[in-house]
Amino acid sequence: MSVPKVRLLGPVLALGLVAAACGSSSKSTSAPTAPGATNAPSTTTVTLASATLNGSGSTFQKAFDQDQIQAFQAKHSGITINYAGGGSGKGQQDLADQVVDFAGSDAAPVKDPTKDKGGPLLYFPTVVAPITVSYKLSGVTTLTLTADTMAKIFSRQIKTWDDAAIKGDNPSASLPSTAITVVHRSDSSGTTNNFTRYLKAAAPSSWTIGAGSTVPWPTDTTAGNGSTGVAQAVKATDGAIGYVDLSDAKAAGLTFASVKNSAGKAVAPTLDAASAALVGVTVNADLTYNPLNSAAPDAYPITSPTWILVYKTQTDKAKGAALKAFLAFILTDGQTNATASDYAPLTKDLTAKALAQVDQIVVPA
Amino acid sequence: MTTLTPVTTSVPAPLRIRTVTPARRTRNVVATIMICLSVAVALIPLGFVLFYVIEKGTKVFGWAFLTKSIPIDRHIGPGMGPAVVGTLLVTGAATAMAVPLGILAAVYVSEYGAANRLAGVIRFLADVMAGVPSIVMGLFIYTVWVLRFKGSGQTAFAGSLALGCLMLPIVIRGTESMLRLVPREQREASYALGSRKSRTILTVVLPAALPGITSACLLAVARAAGETAPLLFTLGIVFKNNFSLFKGTNTALSAQIFVNATSPFVGAQDRAWGAAFTLIALVLVLTIVARLVAAQFTVRER
Amino acid sequence: MVGSISGLDERMTTTTSPTPAPLSARRPAVADGSFRYLALACGLAVLAILALIAVSTTSKALPAFRHEGFRFLFSKEWNPTKTKVVSGQSVADPHFGALAFIYGTMVISAIALLIAVPVSVGMALFLTDVAPRRLRGPVSYAIDLLAAIPSVVYGLWGVVVLAPVLTRTYGSIGSATHGIPLLGTLLSGGSGRSFMTAGLILALMITPIITSLTREVFETVPRSQKEAVLALGATRWEMVRGAVLPWGRSGVIGAVMLGLGRAMGETIAAALVIGSSPQITAHLFRAGDALPAVIANEFGEAADVWRSALIGLGVLVFALTIIVNSAARALVVRTDRRMAA
Repeated sequence: MSVPKVRLLGPVLALGLVAAACGSSSKSTSAPTAPGATNAPSTTTVTLASATLNGSGSTFQKAFDQDQIQAFQAKHSGITINYAGGGSGKGQQDLADQVVDFAGSDAAPVKDPTKDKGGPLLYFPTVVAPITVSYKLSGVTTLTLTADTMAKIFSRQIKTWDDAAIKGDNPSASLPSTAITVVHRSDSSGTTNNFTRYLKAAAPSSWTIGAGSTVPWPTDTTAGNGSTGVAQAVKATDGAIGYVDLSDAKAAGLTFASVKNSAGKAVAPTLDAASAALVGVTVNADLTYNPLNSAAPDAYPITSPTWILVYKTQTDKAKGAALKAFLAFILTDGQTNATASDYAPLTKDLTAKALAQVDQIVVPA
Repeated sequence: MTTLTPVTTSVPAPLRIRTVTPARRTRNVVATIMICLSVAVALIPLGFVLFYVIEKGTKVFGWAFLTKSIPIDRHIGPGMGPAVVGTLLVTGAATAMAVPLGILAAVYVSEYGAANRLAGVIRFLADVMAGVPSIVMGLFIYTVWVLRFKGSGQTAFAGSLALGCLMLPIVIRGTESMLRLVPREQREASYALGSRKSRTILTVVLPAALPGITSACLLAVARAAGETAPLLFTLGIVFKNNFSLFKGTNTALSAQIFVNATSPFVGAQDRAWGAAFTLIALVLVLTIVARLVAAQFTVRER
Repeated sequence: MVGSISGLDERMTTTTSPTPAPLSARRPAVADGSFRYLALACGLAVLAILALIAVSTTSKALPAFRHEGFRFLFSKEWNPTKTKVVSGQSVADPHFGALAFIYGTMVISAIALLIAVPVSVGMALFLTDVAPRRLRGPVSYAIDLLAAIPSVVYGLWGVVVLAPVLTRTYGSIGSATHGIPLLGTLLSGGSGRSFMTAGLILALMITPIITSLTREVFETVPRSQKEAVLALGATRWEMVRGAVLPWGRSGVIGAVMLGLGRAMGETIAAALVIGSSPQITAHLFRAGDALPAVIANEFGEAADVWRSALIGLGVLVFALTIIVNSAARALVVRTDRRMAA
């Protein structure tokens, strides 16, 4: 009797796919890159064994990482790097579980190092960028805010845009009486960590919710997942205000407020102002530092640092070599190209220290 | 409200003739309008959803969309090849695992399970399993499978394990109800001619129920292809084609839609709509084929 | 050779070929037994898989249950990264109270049912009794289409298209109902991503399930019943009210509960549009959070007790859907038995 062909097609197709999958090994079998020809003079021209690196973590640095991955993969066609995002908390946890090879995090050092299954971690600063205070308010294109006002807005002590405190910061603006919708992160976020630490440091009397990757936000607020989620939520709601990294805020077409720094100057979230926040900052031995609430006159006070975390002792030779090359790339070519991605490069001094730390990574022979 | 009462009062109440009063007519009309309105209420949003998917999805859809690598969020242009590969791989592997297992389990429950307590338990638990939220399936596979492998647990196979668990109860339930519809006389006639039970099942019962079983399996595949939650923690992510089932992370159309849904970059959003279009087209094709196959079955039934 | 079998509607006939060769006694017996064991093995495998899911999720959730005790179910404070200062040191003091999520799941399911049930019953009636024959095919294909759309696409549409539009609508509704005692509190808030939006999307998603099941139930109403009522002079609506609805009542309730089970377990669409702010509030236009949505959002970064707590939430949803689905099935079985009688 005839068996309907459709019935056979499914399993045959599936079997075919399974067979193909089992048959093929990992994808990278390409020729080594030709040294010298198209490389910028600062990069090394070592040909790397093919490898796949997986990373996850901070969405703050995701746009920068994607651009660097694209450029790096163009130079080393045998290397595949996948960066998943998901928030600083996820990156740290995935790295602790050894589900990924590197993590992006805006918060360092990691809270509980005993959880890391692979031994000690190394922190590599990559770029800095302003955390914009983005808002959507019809008819208002410029806005200045002080730390105190922001603290009150984000803790829902101020609920409408025509509040006296906001008017005080913007004497010449005409503000509508729209209700303020506060948007924050729903996931564990290094951006939240830095933003709340700034508010706590700059306006301790008004900001009592605490600081950290997650904080108990007031209940009548909205949350978005990832920097992009917050950007999207702010864009969709008239009267919304939220904290988003510069790259995502620009991509979403949001308007940013200028923030008064501790020197009393209202500074817009530009890359130059972010670089100014790095001047004079104390760098710890493990390359963690804090550029928030900088006292420099032209500094943007909510400048966020960000790091890439890797295990000091690598277990896979090809992956370890690829990691070292990728980090070196970010700290050389990546610094030159950072502004094109809307991130500010590190100071020369910090870059040199980070490059020296790359050599500390132990790769099996 | 006029009622015609018969002349003699001794006629029992039920035989009193009533005219269709205006009030009753109005109620009837109103009810009909409400019923038609409910159809509109359900189908108008469907129209909107399809409109947006088609309008935005076809902008970026095309052969390039289905084959090129996934570009970075910022880039504007087509490219979802790895997601298509991933969806086919993961769904195909899940089908290959769930369909044979499910059909044989349903055969046991239906054919060998008449007086058997075990069969009843299996049937009950298959129904229970059908109600497990898909995120729990994903968590289950993540903690039991993915975490075992240091650094390389997130694979297409892990995703297919999760989807297979999801498909299994659907396949079992569908197959069992189709097997039950095969008339007893067919089996008895086969036994009367000297066939053993297994031979009867393989040569009489299964072929007879085949169209219905195929239909149920195709619907299970369609459901699995559209699932996102089980893949969230088991697949990882890739941007270039990964044809390997057991090595390396992968991605799927549904996972890409989820990731790109909240992106502020226009390019990423357009690709999300394109992936939605592709996914709906895929699911629709499977559903239509399932229906056609089932229609063949019911026609033969009557 | 057993003879030709062609079509279910034909009686088994032997072909014109001579009597079939006698079957050898021994080989088929072994094959028969091994096939039976194969089928049994598959059945047991299914059992084992389900048992594994239940046992492993519950055991991984135990640390959280032990940490919280009954507060897990009844406390509304969910703060996994809370710290407290103990003798000068900052130690972790996480709180895992699921009440806000249970509330959120209940609220959005209730909204979804409130909208989906009348619409679905109406559609089912349309398909069985009201629609002209020509329309039945296209409309039921349209319903199948609704069912076929994956939930993530509904979520995409909800968050990109619906939520921004609804923000303004909520604002207008809110100011229109301002001051009205019950409605004013319920219909206020103003966030596009809120309980109400999630409820609306869920309603769209569970309508096809409830409709097709309800329609099957209504189709089993015996024609004789309907015709009897019509013969007594009833209008079509009175026939529906008198014959169809009472007959199918428990079946409809069963279908509704299956839809409820689906709504409670829906993760992705809810996660995208609910707003991810766990709170217990009567303002439906405010952001909230639901059980499966918070699992999807927070699991990636959770560790230890936090992870156990999230798995515990998963077990909770699992238990709730089992209860609801079992009740549904009991009702549907009862209707089936009645039909068969």
